[in-house]
Amino acid sequence: MAVITTKGVEKVYNPDKIPVKALKGVDLEIEAGEFTAIVGPSGSGKTTLLNIIGGLDRPTAGYVEVGGEDISQMSDNTLIDFRKEHIGFVFQAYNLIPVLTARENVEFVMLLQNRSKAERHARADELLKAVGLEDKVHKRPAELSGGQQQRVAVARALAPKPTFILADEPTANLDSESTANLLDIMARLNQEEGVTFVFSTHDQRVIDRARRVVTLVDGKVDEDLRR
Amino acid sequence: MAWRNVWRSPTRSWVVISAIALGIWAALSLTGFATGMMKSYVNSAIENSVGHLQIHAPGFTEEYDLQKQLPPASELSTQLEALPQLQAYSMRTVVSGMASSSQGARGVMVKGVEPEQEAAVSAIEEKLVEGEFFPEMRGNAVLIGQELAEKLNLKLRSKMVLTFQGLDREITAAAFRVVGIFDTGNTPFDGGTVFVEREDLNRLIIAQADTTTVQSDLVYEAALLLNDVDQVDTVAALLETALPGQEVKTYREVSPDLELYESQIQNVSMIYLVVILLALVFGIINTMLMAVLERIKELGMLMAIGMNKLRVFSMIVLETILLGIVATPIGLLLGYLTINYVRENGINMSAYSEGMASYGLSQVIYFDVEPGVYTQMAVGVFLTAILAAIYPALKAIRLKPVDALHSF
Repeated sequence: MAVITTKGVEKVYNPDKIPVKALKGVDLEIEAGEFTAIVGPSGSGKTTLLNIIGGLDRPTAGYVEVGGEDISQMSDNTLIDFRKEHIGFVFQAYNLIPVLTARENVEFVMLLQNRSKAERHARADELLKAVGLEDKVHKRPAELSGGQQQRVAVARALAPKPTFILADEPTANLDSESTANLLDIMARLNQEEGVTFVFSTHDQRVIDRARRVVTLVDGKVDEDLRR
Repeated sequence: MAWRNVWRSPTRSWVVISAIALGIWAALSLTGFATGMMKSYVNSAIENSVGHLQIHAPGFTEEYDLQKQLPPASELSTQLEALPQLQAYSMRTVVSGMASSSQGARGVMVKGVEPEQEAAVSAIEEKLVEGEFFPEMRGNAVLIGQELAEKLNLKLRSKMVLTFQGLDREITAAAFRVVGIFDTGNTPFDGGTVFVEREDLNRLIIAQADTTTVQSDLVYEAALLLNDVDQVDTVAALLETALPGQEVKTYREVSPDLELYESQIQNVSMIYLVVILLALVFGIINTMLMAVLERIKELGMLMAIGMNKLRVFSMIVLETILLGIVATPIGLLLGYLTINYVRENGINMSAYSEGMASYGLSQVIYFDVEPGVYTQMAVGVFLTAILAAIYPALKAIRLKPVDALHSF
C-alpha cells in the first residue's frame, strides 16, 4: 500500500517575476516499509519535493496524498496537526531544542499530542534505548556529539509513531563512524519495525544502503531503482 | 520550556529584568516624590493658617466685606466645642488692608487672632525665626513674614502702619510694632499675611460711635483643626447642618490652588509613568524580537514537527510574562525600600529651596505613596509586558516553516 503518492507535482518559484520551475510533474508512489533515497545533483528539486511531501510547502500543480489524504489542499492549521500525527522529521542540522534534555526533546511532540506523562517517559526511554542513547537521557544537545544529536533527532521523529520519516541529508554533518552507526539504527528500525524512511541525500554511504533510489534531474524523475 | 528559554541568554534576560525593575522603581519613586510634594504643600497650607475646615459668613471671602459676620464668637465657640472630632479652633477677624513702612507699602491680609487659640491651630509660632509669639505687652503687636520684613525693610521692634476699612467703611490706620518674624518657606504667604491680636483689630474696626457691636463677639473666620484629616468631609456636613446659613469649607475649597496642584501633580506623574512604560514596551519588544529572530530556525522546526501557531504565540508571550514576573517583585521591593527610607529621612531639596519656597513647598520632601499604587504598578507592568510581547509573537507565528528552516 502506498503511504505517499504524488501525482503531476509541479512547483514554480517566483511565478510573477522570473519563474523558476523546480519540479516539472513528479509522479511517485512510496510503499509502507520502504527505505528510499531521493538523490540528484544540486538544484534537481530534491529539497522542494521533500518539503512538499512533508507538508511544509504546497505544489503549484498536482497533488500529494499521505496515507490516502490529499495534503496539498489542507489549511495551515490542519497541516500542522497532520504533520504532528503522521510525519517524522530528521533535519540536516539536527535542530533539537537546546534548552531541553534528550528525553524532553523526544517527548516534545508527544506533549503536543497531549499524551500522559508516564506514556511519554516510557516511549522516550524506549526510543533512546533503541538509538543507543539510554545513558544520555538527561543530557542537553550541547553535551552530545553530532552523531548522538542526530540519533536523538531520529528518536524524536519516531516518537509520535508517524506514517513515515522524512530525513533531509541526515548524514551531511556526520563523520563516517557516526554515519554508519546512524544508518545501522535506521536500517534496523526499517527492517524490524517496518518504519518507512524517505531521505534526500548526496551521501554515497546512504545511497548504498537504500533499497530504493529515486534520481531527480531538472525537476523530473530520471531514474527509479529498486534493489 | 518558556522558562528555560528565558534563561537561554541570561545576560539579555537580566538586562530586560533590570530595565523593568528600574522602570517600576523609577515610577514608584516618582509617584512617591509627587505625592510627598503634594502632601507637603497641602500640609504647609493647613499648618500656615488654613486649618482643615473654615467657617465664614456666606460671601465673606469674596470681598472681605466686614458686614458679613459670623454669629457671635461666644455662641460659635459653644457649638464648636461640642464637636468630638475637633482638636482645636481659632476665631479670627480677617481684613484686607495695606502694610506700610518708611520703605513702601504692600497689600496684606491682616488676621486678628487669639494667640492661644491660633497656636493650637497653626504652626506660625513654630515658624518664628525672630521675636516671640505675641508676648505680654500693651496692644498693637504684629507678626510679619520674613518676605514682608525684607520688602518693607522691617526689623524686630520696628513700627509699621496697617491701613484698612472699618465696619463703618471708613478708612482706619494704626501703628503696630513688629514682635516676631516668621518664615514658613512659602514666599507668597510670608509676603502677604500679618498676624495681630483679634482684640486689637476688633477695637480698630469698630467705630467709636458704634455702641451696639460687642467687641469680643465680632468674628469673621473660624479655622478648625480636626483629629483626623480624613474626617474633613464628615465634619463639614455636620457643621453645615449645625450652622445653617454659614459657609463651611474644607481646606481644598478654601485654597482651590491645592486641588489644582493635586491634579497637576497627578497629571504630570501620569505622563512620566506613560513615558516610562512606553520605554519599557520598546525595551521588551526589542529584546523579544531578538529572541525570536535568533531562533527562527528553531521556531520553524517547532512548527514543522507540529507545534501550532497558538502554542508558539503563547510560548513567546509567556516568556515575556515570566521576565515580568521576575522583574516586578524586584522593582516593587526596590521602590518600597526607597520610599520607606525617604518617608523616614526625607530628601533635602534646600539646593532648590528658593524655587520650592516660591511654590509654597518645604525644603525637605518626604516620599509617600498610597498602598494601591503598588498594585497598580504591578498590573500596569504586567499589561505592558503582554502588550510588548504581541508584536514579536506575531512575528514568530508569521514565519513559514519551510522558509524558517531554510533547507529541509
